[in-house]
Amino acid sequence: MNRRQFLKTSAAGILATPALARLAGAQESPFRVKYYPVASGMGSRDVTPAPDGTMWFCGQRNGTLGRLDPRDGSYKLVDLGKGAAPHGVIIGPDGAPWVTEGGQNAIARVDPGDHKVTLFRLPENEAYANLNTAVFDKNGIYWFTGQSGIYGRLDPKSGDMTVFKSPRGRGTYGMTITPKGDIWYASLAGNHIGKIDPATGNATVVDPPMPNQGARRVWSDSKGRIWVSEWNSGNVSMHDPADGSWKAWKLPGDNPRTYAVYVDDKDKVWLTDFGANAIVRFDPVTEKFNAFPSDKAGANVRQLDGKPGETWGGESGNNRLVMIQTVAPA
Amino acid sequence: MRLFVFLLLLPMLASAASADEAGARLFTPCRACHSLDPAKRGLPGPNLAGVVGRAVGGDAAFDYSPVLRKAREEGLRWDAPRLESFLADPAEMFPGLWMSMRGIEDAAERKALARFLANPASR
Repeated sequence: MNRRQFLKTSAAGILATPALARLAGAQESPFRVKYYPVASGMGSRDVTPAPDGTMWFCGQRNGTLGRLDPRDGSYKLVDLGKGAAPHGVIIGPDGAPWVTEGGQNAIARVDPGDHKVTLFRLPENEAYANLNTAVFDKNGIYWFTGQSGIYGRLDPKSGDMTVFKSPRGRGTYGMTITPKGDIWYASLAGNHIGKIDPATGNATVVDPPMPNQGARRVWSDSKGRIWVSEWNSGNVSMHDPADGSWKAWKLPGDNPRTYAVYVDDKDKVWLTDFGANAIVRFDPVTEKFNAFPSDKAGANVRQLDGKPGETWGGESGNNRLVMIQTVAPA
Repeated sequence: MRLFVFLLLLPMLASAASADEAGARLFTPCRACHSLDPAKRGLPGPNLAGVVGRAVGGDAAFDYSPVLRKAREEGLRWDAPRLESFLADPAEMFPGLWMSMRGIEDAAERKALARFLANPASR
Protein backbone atom coordinates (compact mmCIF):
# COMPACT_ATOMS: atom_id res chain seq x y z
CA MET A 1 0.00 0.00 0.00
CA ASN A 2 1.51 3.35 -0.92
CA ARG A 3 0.66 6.87 0.04
CA ARG A 4 -0.88 7.69 -3.33
CA GLN A 5 -3.35 4.91 -3.01
CA PHE A 6 -4.18 5.23 0.60
CA LEU A 7 -4.11 8.52 2.38
CA LYS A 8 -5.34 8.10 5.87
CA THR A 9 -6.38 11.37 7.37
CA SER A 10 -5.62 12.33 10.88
CA ALA A 11 -9.32 12.83 11.36
CA ALA A 12 -10.00 9.13 11.83
CA GLY A 13 -10.99 8.53 15.38
CA ILE A 14 -10.13 12.02 16.57
CA LEU A 15 -12.77 14.08 14.83
CA ALA A 16 -12.56 17.42 16.59
CA THR A 17 -16.03 18.57 15.68
CA PRO A 18 -18.74 16.12 16.59
CA ALA A 19 -21.41 15.44 14.02
CA LEU A 20 -24.00 18.15 14.26
CA ALA A 21 -27.55 17.08 14.78
CA ARG A 22 -30.77 19.03 14.89
CA LEU A 23 -34.44 18.32 14.60
CA ALA A 24 -35.93 19.64 11.40
CA GLY A 25 -38.24 22.36 12.65
CA ALA A 26 -41.80 22.52 11.37
CA GLN A 27 -41.46 19.17 9.59
CA GLU A 28 -43.46 16.06 10.23
CA SER A 29 -41.60 14.05 12.80
CA PRO A 30 -39.61 11.92 13.28
CA PHE A 31 -37.32 13.30 10.55
CA ARG A 32 -33.98 14.22 12.02
CA VAL A 33 -31.16 15.96 10.16
CA LYS A 34 -27.55 15.19 11.01
CA TYR A 35 -24.38 16.71 9.56
CA TYR A 36 -20.94 15.12 9.30
CA PRO A 37 -18.05 17.54 8.64
CA VAL A 38 -15.32 16.18 6.38
CA ALA A 39 -12.08 17.61 5.00
CA SER A 40 -11.99 21.30 4.16
CA GLY A 41 -11.92 22.09 0.44
CA MET A 42 -12.69 18.56 -0.75
CA GLY A 43 -16.06 19.31 -2.36
CA SER A 44 -17.82 16.28 -0.87
CA ARG A 45 -20.44 15.32 -3.42
CA ASP A 46 -21.86 11.94 -4.53
CA VAL A 47 -22.37 9.35 -1.78
CA THR A 48 -23.36 5.72 -1.44
CA PRO A 49 -23.81 3.38 1.51
CA ALA A 50 -21.31 0.53 1.87
CA PRO A 51 -22.46 -2.92 2.99
CA ASP A 52 -20.66 -2.51 6.33
CA GLY A 53 -22.58 0.62 7.37
CA THR A 54 -19.95 3.15 6.34
CA MET A 55 -20.58 5.77 3.63
CA TRP A 56 -18.40 6.31 0.59
CA PHE A 57 -18.24 9.83 -0.80
CA CYS A 58 -16.44 11.62 -3.62
CA GLY A 59 -14.09 14.54 -3.05
CA GLN A 60 -14.17 16.12 -6.47
CA ARG A 61 -11.97 19.07 -5.51
CA ASN A 62 -9.14 17.12 -3.89
CA GLY A 63 -9.26 13.91 -5.92
CA THR A 64 -10.15 11.53 -3.10
CA LEU A 65 -12.76 8.97 -2.23
CA GLY A 66 -13.84 9.27 1.37
CA ARG A 67 -15.18 6.67 3.77
CA LEU A 68 -17.22 7.94 6.70
CA ASP A 69 -18.11 5.94 9.76
CA PRO A 70 -21.43 7.45 10.88
CA ARG A 71 -21.09 5.88 14.30
CA ASP A 72 -18.42 8.33 15.40
CA GLY A 73 -18.08 10.74 12.45
CA SER A 74 -14.54 9.64 11.67
CA TYR A 75 -13.46 9.33 8.06
CA LYS A 76 -10.59 8.25 5.84
CA LEU A 77 -9.61 9.56 2.44
CA VAL A 78 -8.27 7.43 -0.40
CA ASP A 79 -6.14 9.33 -2.92
CA LEU A 80 -7.36 8.29 -6.39
CA GLY A 81 -4.31 9.58 -8.28
CA LYS A 82 -2.82 12.70 -9.83
CA GLY A 83 -5.45 15.05 -11.18
CA ALA A 84 -8.32 12.90 -9.97
CA ALA A 85 -11.78 14.49 -9.84
CA PRO A 86 -14.28 11.82 -8.79
CA HIS A 87 -17.92 12.52 -9.60
CA GLY A 88 -20.05 9.49 -8.74
CA VAL A 89 -19.70 6.35 -6.64
CA ILE A 90 -21.77 3.16 -6.48
CA ILE A 91 -21.29 -0.24 -4.85
CA GLY A 92 -20.58 -3.16 -7.15
CA PRO A 93 -21.65 -6.79 -6.82
CA ASP A 94 -18.19 -7.33 -5.30
CA GLY A 95 -19.00 -4.96 -2.44
CA ALA A 96 -16.41 -2.44 -3.64
CA PRO A 97 -16.99 1.22 -4.50
CA TRP A 98 -16.74 1.99 -8.24
CA VAL A 99 -16.12 5.59 -9.20
CA THR A 100 -16.68 7.67 -12.32
CA GLU A 101 -13.27 9.31 -12.11
CA GLY A 102 -13.41 12.22 -14.50
CA GLY A 103 -9.98 13.65 -13.73
CA GLN A 104 -8.14 10.61 -15.05
CA ASN A 105 -10.90 9.78 -17.57
CA ALA A 106 -11.25 6.34 -16.01
CA ILE A 107 -13.50 4.11 -13.99
CA ALA A 108 -11.88 3.50 -10.62
CA ARG A 109 -12.42 0.53 -8.34
CA VAL A 110 -11.33 0.93 -4.75
CA ASP A 111 -10.76 -2.23 -2.77
CA PRO A 112 -12.83 -1.94 0.41
CA GLY A 113 -10.20 -3.88 2.36
CA ASP A 114 -6.84 -2.32 1.54
CA HIS A 115 -8.12 0.69 -0.45
CA LYS A 116 -6.01 -0.24 -3.47
CA VAL A 117 -7.11 1.74 -6.52
CA THR A 118 -7.56 0.02 -9.90
CA LEU A 119 -8.19 2.19 -12.96
CA PHE A 120 -10.03 1.20 -16.14
CA ARG A 121 -9.15 3.97 -18.57
CA LEU A 122 -11.44 5.06 -21.40
CA PRO A 123 -10.18 4.62 -24.96
CA GLU A 124 -7.85 7.38 -26.18
CA ASN A 125 -10.39 8.60 -28.72
CA GLU A 126 -12.71 9.43 -25.79
CA ALA A 127 -10.13 11.48 -23.92
CA TYR A 128 -12.55 14.07 -22.50
CA ALA A 129 -15.64 12.09 -21.61
CA ASN A 130 -16.48 14.13 -18.50
CA LEU A 131 -17.50 10.99 -16.61
CA ASN A 132 -20.58 11.39 -14.51
CA THR A 133 -22.83 8.61 -13.12
CA ALA A 134 -23.06 4.82 -13.29
CA VAL A 135 -25.12 1.72 -12.45
CA PHE A 136 -24.48 -2.02 -12.45
CA ASP A 137 -26.89 -4.13 -14.48
CA LYS A 138 -28.19 -7.52 -13.43
CA ASN A 139 -25.31 -9.28 -15.21
CA GLY A 140 -22.68 -7.31 -13.32
CA ILE A 141 -21.87 -4.99 -16.23
CA TYR A 142 -21.00 -1.43 -15.21
CA TRP A 143 -22.82 1.22 -17.30
CA PHE A 144 -21.69 4.83 -17.13
CA THR A 145 -22.40 8.27 -18.58
CA GLY A 146 -20.07 11.04 -19.74
CA GLN A 147 -21.39 14.56 -19.94
CA SER A 148 -19.44 15.26 -23.11
CA GLY A 149 -22.02 13.07 -24.87
CA ILE A 150 -21.18 9.44 -24.33
CA TYR A 151 -22.29 6.44 -22.37
CA GLY A 152 -20.54 3.13 -22.03
CA ARG A 153 -20.24 -0.33 -20.59
CA LEU A 154 -17.42 -1.99 -18.70
CA ASP A 155 -17.14 -5.67 -17.93
CA PRO A 156 -15.31 -5.66 -14.59
CA LYS A 157 -14.16 -9.27 -15.03
CA SER A 158 -12.48 -8.89 -18.41
CA GLY A 159 -11.90 -5.13 -18.36
CA ASP A 160 -13.56 -4.87 -21.79
CA MET A 161 -15.03 -1.45 -22.33
CA THR A 162 -17.29 -0.10 -25.09
CA VAL A 163 -18.18 3.56 -25.47
CA PHE A 164 -21.29 4.75 -27.36
CA LYS A 165 -22.13 8.22 -28.65
CA SER A 166 -25.23 9.62 -26.98
CA PRO A 167 -28.21 10.59 -29.08
CA ARG A 168 -28.26 14.40 -29.46
CA GLY A 169 -24.69 14.71 -28.19
CA ARG A 170 -23.55 16.43 -25.02
CA GLY A 171 -25.34 16.38 -21.70
CA THR A 172 -25.49 12.70 -20.70
CA TYR A 173 -25.72 12.89 -16.91
CA GLY A 174 -27.71 10.76 -14.41
CA MET A 175 -28.38 7.05 -14.73
CA THR A 176 -30.67 4.49 -13.07
CA ILE A 177 -31.71 0.84 -13.31
CA THR A 178 -35.29 -0.38 -12.83
CA PRO A 179 -36.21 -3.48 -10.79
CA LYS A 180 -36.77 -5.26 -14.12
CA GLY A 181 -33.23 -4.37 -15.22
CA ASP A 182 -33.89 -1.59 -17.71
CA ILE A 183 -31.27 1.16 -17.81
CA TRP A 184 -32.22 4.81 -18.21
CA TYR A 185 -30.17 7.99 -18.40
CA ALA A 186 -30.93 11.72 -18.31
CA SER A 187 -29.43 14.33 -20.62
CA LEU A 188 -29.05 17.75 -19.03
CA ALA A 189 -28.04 19.66 -22.14
CA GLY A 190 -30.06 17.34 -24.39
CA ASN A 191 -33.32 17.84 -22.43
CA HIS A 192 -34.46 14.24 -22.56
CA ILE A 193 -34.26 10.88 -20.89
CA GLY A 194 -33.30 7.72 -22.71
CA LYS A 195 -33.52 3.98 -22.34
CA ILE A 196 -30.48 1.84 -23.13
CA ASP A 197 -30.80 -1.69 -24.44
CA PRO A 198 -28.07 -3.58 -22.54
CA ALA A 199 -27.89 -6.22 -25.27
CA THR A 200 -27.13 -3.85 -28.15
CA GLY A 201 -26.08 -0.67 -26.36
CA ASN A 202 -28.59 1.29 -28.43
CA ALA A 203 -30.45 4.16 -26.75
CA THR A 204 -34.03 5.27 -27.31
CA VAL A 205 -34.84 8.90 -26.56
CA VAL A 206 -37.96 9.80 -24.59
CA ASP A 207 -38.86 13.50 -24.52
CA PRO A 208 -40.50 14.93 -21.39
CA PRO A 209 -43.53 17.12 -22.10
CA MET A 210 -41.78 20.25 -20.76
CA PRO A 211 -39.38 21.59 -23.41
CA ASN A 212 -35.87 22.62 -22.32
CA GLN A 213 -36.51 21.18 -18.89
CA GLY A 214 -32.88 20.21 -18.18
CA ALA A 215 -33.34 16.57 -17.14
CA ARG A 216 -30.34 16.12 -14.88
CA ARG A 217 -30.77 12.94 -12.84
CA VAL A 218 -33.09 9.92 -12.86
CA TRP A 219 -34.07 7.27 -10.32
CA SER A 220 -36.45 4.34 -10.67
CA ASP A 221 -39.09 3.53 -8.07
CA SER A 222 -40.11 -0.01 -7.14
CA LYS A 223 -42.64 -0.10 -10.00
CA GLY A 224 -40.08 0.84 -12.65
CA ARG A 225 -41.38 4.39 -13.01
CA ILE A 226 -38.63 6.88 -13.81
CA TRP A 227 -38.39 9.98 -11.61
CA VAL A 228 -36.57 12.92 -13.15
CA SER A 229 -35.02 16.01 -11.55
CA GLU A 230 -35.50 18.88 -13.99
CA TRP A 231 -32.84 21.54 -13.41
CA ASN A 232 -34.18 24.25 -15.72
CA SER A 233 -37.90 23.90 -15.00
CA GLY A 234 -37.58 23.29 -11.25
CA ASN A 235 -39.90 20.32 -11.61
CA VAL A 236 -39.80 16.74 -10.50
CA SER A 237 -41.39 14.65 -13.21
CA MET A 238 -42.34 10.99 -13.48
CA HIS A 239 -42.42 8.85 -16.57
CA ASP A 240 -44.21 5.51 -16.55
CA PRO A 241 -42.73 3.38 -19.35
CA ALA A 242 -45.62 0.93 -18.96
CA ASP A 243 -48.09 3.33 -20.55
CA GLY A 244 -45.83 6.14 -21.76
CA SER A 245 -47.42 8.69 -19.42
CA TRP A 246 -45.81 11.68 -17.74
CA LYS A 247 -46.66 13.73 -14.66
CA ALA A 248 -44.80 16.74 -13.27
CA TRP A 249 -44.83 18.78 -10.08
CA LYS A 250 -43.14 22.12 -9.44
CA LEU A 251 -41.02 22.22 -6.31
CA PRO A 252 -42.02 24.79 -3.67
CA GLY A 253 -40.50 28.28 -3.59
CA ASP A 254 -39.93 31.17 -5.97
CA ASN A 255 -37.15 29.78 -8.11
CA PRO A 256 -36.63 26.05 -7.60
CA ARG A 257 -33.65 24.45 -9.35
CA THR A 258 -34.04 20.70 -9.05
CA TYR A 259 -30.64 19.02 -9.09
CA ALA A 260 -30.77 15.50 -7.61
CA VAL A 261 -33.41 12.81 -7.26
CA TYR A 262 -33.48 9.61 -5.22
CA VAL A 263 -36.39 7.26 -4.49
CA ASP A 264 -36.26 5.51 -1.14
CA ASP A 265 -37.40 2.01 -0.19
CA LYS A 266 -40.90 3.35 0.60
CA ASP A 267 -41.16 4.95 -2.85
CA LYS A 268 -40.90 8.44 -1.37
CA VAL A 269 -39.06 10.80 -3.68
CA TRP A 270 -36.14 12.89 -2.40
CA LEU A 271 -34.81 15.88 -4.32
CA THR A 272 -32.34 18.67 -3.89
CA ASP A 273 -33.27 22.25 -4.71
CA PHE A 274 -30.38 24.69 -5.20
CA GLY A 275 -32.81 27.62 -5.36
CA ALA A 276 -34.02 26.92 -1.82
CA ASN A 277 -30.69 25.47 -0.58
CA ALA A 278 -32.70 22.48 0.59
CA ILE A 279 -33.32 18.77 0.42
CA VAL A 280 -36.96 18.21 -0.42
CA ARG A 281 -39.11 15.14 0.15
CA PHE A 282 -42.06 14.47 -2.17
CA ASP A 283 -44.78 12.01 -1.30
CA PRO A 284 -46.32 10.71 -4.55
CA VAL A 285 -49.41 9.53 -2.65
CA THR A 286 -50.35 12.85 -1.06
CA GLU A 287 -48.47 14.95 -3.67
CA LYS A 288 -47.07 17.05 -0.80
CA PHE A 289 -43.53 18.38 -0.35
CA ASN A 290 -41.47 18.72 2.83
CA ALA A 291 -38.41 20.95 2.67
CA PHE A 292 -35.28 20.53 4.77
CA PRO A 293 -33.21 23.67 4.22
CA SER A 294 -29.56 23.42 5.14
CA ASP A 295 -28.42 25.33 8.20
CA LYS A 296 -25.57 26.75 6.09
CA ALA A 297 -25.72 28.75 2.84
CA GLY A 298 -24.49 27.25 -0.42
CA ALA A 299 -24.90 23.58 0.55
CA ASN A 300 -25.13 22.38 -3.08
CA VAL A 301 -26.15 18.76 -2.56
CA ARG A 302 -25.56 17.26 -6.01
CA GLN A 303 -26.74 13.70 -5.48
CA LEU A 304 -28.70 11.63 -3.00
CA ASP A 305 -28.65 7.97 -2.04
CA GLY A 306 -29.63 6.05 1.02
CA LYS A 307 -30.69 2.92 2.82
CA PRO A 308 -33.88 2.03 4.67
CA GLY A 309 -34.60 4.80 7.15
CA GLU A 310 -31.81 7.14 6.00
CA THR A 311 -31.40 9.54 3.09
CA TRP A 312 -27.84 10.78 2.49
CA GLY A 313 -26.21 13.52 0.47
CA GLY A 314 -22.97 15.44 0.23
CA GLU A 315 -22.99 19.18 0.86
CA SER A 316 -20.34 19.92 -1.75
CA GLY A 317 -20.32 23.62 -0.88
CA ASN A 318 -19.87 23.06 2.84
CA ASN A 319 -17.64 19.96 2.90
CA ARG A 320 -20.11 17.98 4.95
CA LEU A 321 -22.30 14.95 4.50
CA VAL A 322 -25.93 15.25 5.49
CA MET A 323 -28.23 12.47 6.62
CA ILE A 324 -31.98 12.71 7.11
CA GLN A 325 -33.32 10.01 9.33
CA THR A 326 -36.69 8.99 7.96
CA VAL A 327 -37.57 6.36 10.52
CA ALA A 328 -37.18 6.67 14.27
CA PRO A 329 -34.36 4.41 15.49
CA ALA A 330 -35.55 1.25 17.24
CA MET B 1 15.75 40.38 -44.28
CA ARG B 2 12.10 39.30 -44.28
CA LEU B 3 13.18 35.68 -44.08
CA PHE B 4 15.47 36.52 -41.18
CA VAL B 5 12.65 38.21 -39.22
CA PHE B 6 10.33 35.30 -39.98
CA LEU B 7 12.89 32.81 -38.71
CA LEU B 8 13.36 34.86 -35.58
CA LEU B 9 9.61 34.91 -34.94
CA LEU B 10 9.07 31.27 -35.81
CA PRO B 11 9.60 29.85 -32.29
CA MET B 12 7.22 32.48 -30.86
CA LEU B 13 4.59 31.70 -33.48
CA ALA B 14 4.94 27.98 -32.87
CA SER B 15 4.63 28.54 -29.14
CA ALA B 16 1.48 30.64 -29.59
CA ALA B 17 -0.06 28.02 -31.87
CA SER B 18 0.75 25.35 -29.34
CA ALA B 19 -0.88 27.41 -26.57
CA ASP B 20 -3.98 27.87 -28.75
CA GLU B 21 -4.19 24.13 -29.30
CA ALA B 22 -3.78 23.51 -25.59
CA GLY B 23 -6.50 26.05 -24.81
CA ALA B 24 -8.89 24.42 -27.26
CA ARG B 25 -8.11 21.00 -25.83
CA LEU B 26 -8.62 22.21 -22.26
CA PHE B 27 -11.98 23.71 -23.22
CA THR B 28 -13.26 20.33 -24.51
CA PRO B 29 -14.81 19.11 -21.24
CA CYS B 30 -16.30 22.56 -20.61
CA ARG B 31 -18.36 22.16 -23.79
CA ALA B 32 -20.75 19.89 -21.93
CA CYS B 33 -22.24 23.06 -20.41
CA HIS B 34 -20.75 26.09 -22.20
CA SER B 35 -20.48 27.48 -25.70
CA LEU B 36 -18.36 30.22 -27.27
CA ASP B 37 -20.84 30.65 -30.08
CA PRO B 38 -22.87 33.76 -29.18
CA ALA B 39 -25.89 32.27 -30.93
CA LYS B 40 -25.90 29.11 -28.85
CA ARG B 41 -28.26 29.52 -25.91
CA GLY B 42 -30.05 27.35 -23.38
CA LEU B 43 -27.09 25.28 -22.22
CA PRO B 44 -26.60 24.33 -18.55
CA GLY B 45 -23.84 26.93 -18.21
CA PRO B 46 -23.63 30.57 -19.32
CA ASN B 47 -22.53 31.47 -22.83
CA LEU B 48 -18.82 32.36 -22.69
CA ALA B 49 -18.51 34.44 -25.87
CA GLY B 50 -16.77 37.63 -24.81
CA VAL B 51 -16.39 36.50 -21.22
CA VAL B 52 -13.03 38.24 -20.73
CA GLY B 53 -13.80 41.89 -20.19
CA ARG B 54 -17.39 41.49 -19.13
CA ALA B 55 -18.93 41.49 -15.65
CA VAL B 56 -18.77 38.36 -13.52
CA GLY B 57 -22.20 36.78 -13.90
CA GLY B 58 -22.57 38.81 -17.07
CA ASP B 59 -24.67 36.59 -19.35
CA ALA B 60 -28.00 38.35 -19.00
CA ALA B 61 -29.89 35.28 -20.18
CA PHE B 62 -28.42 33.00 -17.52
CA ASP B 63 -29.65 32.29 -13.98
CA TYR B 64 -26.42 32.39 -11.93
CA SER B 65 -25.74 31.01 -8.48
CA PRO B 66 -26.18 33.51 -5.61
CA VAL B 67 -22.43 33.95 -5.12
CA LEU B 68 -21.98 35.04 -8.74
CA ARG B 69 -25.00 37.34 -8.61
CA LYS B 70 -23.40 38.97 -5.58
CA ALA B 71 -20.09 39.31 -7.43
CA ARG B 72 -21.89 41.00 -10.32
CA GLU B 73 -23.61 43.42 -7.91
CA GLU B 74 -20.20 44.23 -6.43
CA GLY B 75 -18.95 45.17 -9.88
CA LEU B 76 -16.42 42.38 -10.39
CA ARG B 77 -15.26 41.87 -13.96
CA TRP B 78 -13.43 39.06 -15.71
CA ASP B 79 -9.91 39.82 -16.79
CA ALA B 80 -7.19 37.32 -17.60
CA PRO B 81 -5.56 37.26 -14.13
CA ARG B 82 -8.92 36.82 -12.39
CA LEU B 83 -9.92 34.10 -14.82
CA GLU B 84 -6.66 32.22 -14.34
CA SER B 85 -7.03 32.47 -10.58
CA PHE B 86 -10.65 31.27 -10.83
CA LEU B 87 -9.62 28.27 -12.92
CA ALA B 88 -7.14 27.19 -10.23
CA ASP B 89 -10.04 26.45 -7.85
CA PRO B 90 -13.41 27.96 -8.79
CA ALA B 91 -15.10 27.09 -5.50
CA GLU B 92 -12.27 28.71 -3.55
CA MET B 93 -12.85 32.04 -5.30
CA PHE B 94 -16.64 31.79 -5.20
CA PRO B 95 -17.76 29.48 -2.37
CA GLY B 96 -21.17 27.98 -3.04
CA LEU B 97 -20.75 28.17 -6.81
CA TRP B 98 -23.28 25.95 -8.57
CA MET B 99 -20.73 24.84 -11.18
CA SER B 100 -18.76 21.85 -9.99
CA MET B 101 -15.25 21.09 -11.21
CA ARG B 102 -11.78 20.43 -9.91
CA GLY B 103 -9.45 23.33 -10.55
CA ILE B 104 -6.60 23.19 -13.06
CA GLU B 105 -3.32 22.75 -11.18
CA ASP B 106 -0.91 23.67 -13.97
CA ALA B 107 -0.42 27.44 -14.34
CA ALA B 108 0.53 27.13 -18.03
CA GLU B 109 -2.71 25.26 -18.72
CA ARG B 110 -4.74 27.90 -16.91
CA LYS B 111 -3.04 30.58 -18.97
CA ALA B 112 -3.69 28.68 -22.21
CA LEU B 113 -7.38 28.22 -21.38
CA ALA B 114 -7.80 31.87 -20.38
CA ARG B 115 -6.10 32.91 -23.62
CA PHE B 116 -8.42 30.65 -25.62
CA LEU B 117 -11.47 32.14 -23.89
CA ALA B 118 -10.22 35.67 -24.51
CA ASN B 119 -9.80 35.12 -28.24
CA PRO B 120 -12.92 36.38 -30.09
CA ALA B 121 -12.22 33.87 -32.87
CA SER B 122 -12.46 30.87 -30.52
CA ARG B 123 -15.47 28.67 -30.94
